[in-house]
Amino acid sequence: MELTSTEYVLSTLKNFLKTSSEEEFLEHYLYTVDKVLSNRPSNYGCINALKALGTYILENPGFSLEDVFKIVNELINVIDNACTQSAIIASNRINNEDVLMTNSRSLCLQRMFRALIDRGINVKVYVLESRPGMEGLETAKWLDDNGLETYLIIDSATRFFIKNVDKVIIGAEAVAANGAVISKVGTSLLSLIANEARVRVLVVSPMYKFSYETVFGETFKIVEGDWKYLMSSEVRRNLPENYSVYVPLFDITPPEYIDALVTEYGLFSPQALAVIAKQTYWFKYGASNLEEIVGKIKKNFFNR
Amino acid sequence: MGLEIPRHVLDIAEKIKSMEIRGAGRIARSAAEAMKIAAVEYRGVADLKSFNQYIYRVAEILLSTRPTAVSLPNAVFYILTGLENTISVNDAREHVIRKADEFIKMTLDAYDKISDFGAKRIKYNSTVLTHCHSTAALSIIIRAFKEGRIVKVYSTETRPLFQGRITARTLLEHGIPTIQIPDSAVRYVMHDVDHVVVGADAVACNGAVVNKIGTSQIALAAKEARVRLYVASETYKFSPETAIGELIPIEERSPEEIVPRIWLSERKKIKIMNPVFDITPPEYIDLIITEIGIIPPQLASYVLFEIYGWNLDKIKTRLMIKTIVEEED
Repeated sequence: MELTSTEYVLSTLKNFLKTSSEEEFLEHYLYTVDKVLSNRPSNYGCINALKALGTYILENPGFSLEDVFKIVNELINVIDNACTQSAIIASNRINNEDVLMTNSRSLCLQRMFRALIDRGINVKVYVLESRPGMEGLETAKWLDDNGLETYLIIDSATRFFIKNVDKVIIGAEAVAANGAVISKVGTSLLSLIANEARVRVLVVSPMYKFSYETVFGETFKIVEGDWKYLMSSEVRRNLPENYSVYVPLFDITPPEYIDALVTEYGLFSPQALAVIAKQTYWFKYGASNLEEIVGKIKKNFFNR
Repeated sequence: MGLEIPRHVLDIAEKIKSMEIRGAGRIARSAAEAMKIAAVEYRGVADLKSFNQYIYRVAEILLSTRPTAVSLPNAVFYILTGLENTISVNDAREHVIRKADEFIKMTLDAYDKISDFGAKRIKYNSTVLTHCHSTAALSIIIRAFKEGRIVKVYSTETRPLFQGRITARTLLEHGIPTIQIPDSAVRYVMHDVDHVVVGADAVACNGAVVNKIGTSQIALAAKEARVRLYVASETYKFSPETAIGELIPIEERSPEEIVPRIWLSERKKIKIMNPVFDITPPEYIDLIITEIGIIPPQLASYVLFEIYGWNLDKIKTRLMIKTIVEEED
């Protein structure tokens, strides 16, 4: 199962705590940067955390393992709390007996549903199966386990059912400077459909997902999958040799289809987020450049 | 008694009812064939009124076999149109035979005409997107490719049953560069698409198109990107009953098409909704390409009234038959 955006950040950070020397920690840092940039290049939660960590290392060249573990743990706490806070704020926007629609799987959304259940707010949820990956099945199971009335539909049936829905609520992989949201492929179609039907779209996206790079013109990289995301090898064998697929794993929802981004600091219009980003924990690191940080670490510590 | 119905006609009716004869085109042509046989084998008195009564009785029997089929009443009424102007039994018999032959030929030639008209609407060097598996839509795409108009086709997988894989296979067999995408990626690729071409299961009188689930959101994404959407449909798929407010029923199928049975058995409370079709509003459709020509969707009622000779009395008669059949069931 693919990790959700926030699960990926947290697990990446926790792996740093397994290192046993300063040198190993630095090696692991360089390894992690490469891995993140090739596997989840638009996971800005991870990129922001790596920038924060790298900046600390450069500012404190004589660091001890204990020092950096403290920083790693602080980052884990900041991110974990932001996710929970955003979830609680999002849950305030949901009314009793609302019918919601969502896709894929998101840790912050799970926490939002948890907050609703804890407060006795009852909702029905339509879940899109979310091909490729079918994370919707996991979400449906989780909602069912937690006692919510759950409807599972194929992605193609979104427009058919949207009129039964009060609010669409989704997670995010990252948010761009203009408020565009990168999320599981199909999210932009879901948002378009919601807009046509005048159903509100809420995105739960804590500030660690904000991409400072996009302020300076960087564009999101969309990771692609191969045929294995769509079928078993048995099915593939029965298709023609030259059968080919295109499987983008994410897509970008324009800000005009999003009613609000829900962060740990409150709800904002997507276009306003860049201003808010200036006042957050991450701003100090956000404006720095990960490549430069990596270059300096290589030079200062490894003489490469 | 001259109103005895030939065995062969009843056999065809039975086969349509038992779904041994299926598919919109085959049902319609079989019904036309039955009407023709009935006319040829009429052994009643040489009185026009008796003949007409007999033919209407055959029409009723055929119409009652599948009350929700769209193509069936179109075949029957195509043949009956103009019958009231005949002057003798021979004249009437000739009329039914001629119109039945005409209808059968028209439906058999439909793909040829549709591909001819449709291909002209595809610009050179186009990228086309199609959904599900539609023979009419594919006939346009294949023709347009042969004419050098198409460079690439996106074909959606089409959950839950993956009919898109049949489409991809067919297109590749014709040497057409084809890329399969998940249904969720249609908006993402739409900026790279010049035309969307899809088929239809039925066309309502206002031009709304009933087609495989997902079509309406593809149409919405196309509209947003200002990509033109063409629907390829034989005219016998136009639904006359929608003219007096009947809704086209949307079939719901088994959840097992979406998730494995074992998953379901562990998750009994989760409701899995599996509608097979959805409805695309006419304002999202640029053209409907039929064998009689290209029409804007809003002209759908013209096809029904002019080509199939529908008028409000006939629609009421049809509804009456349907009500009786439903009550008997």
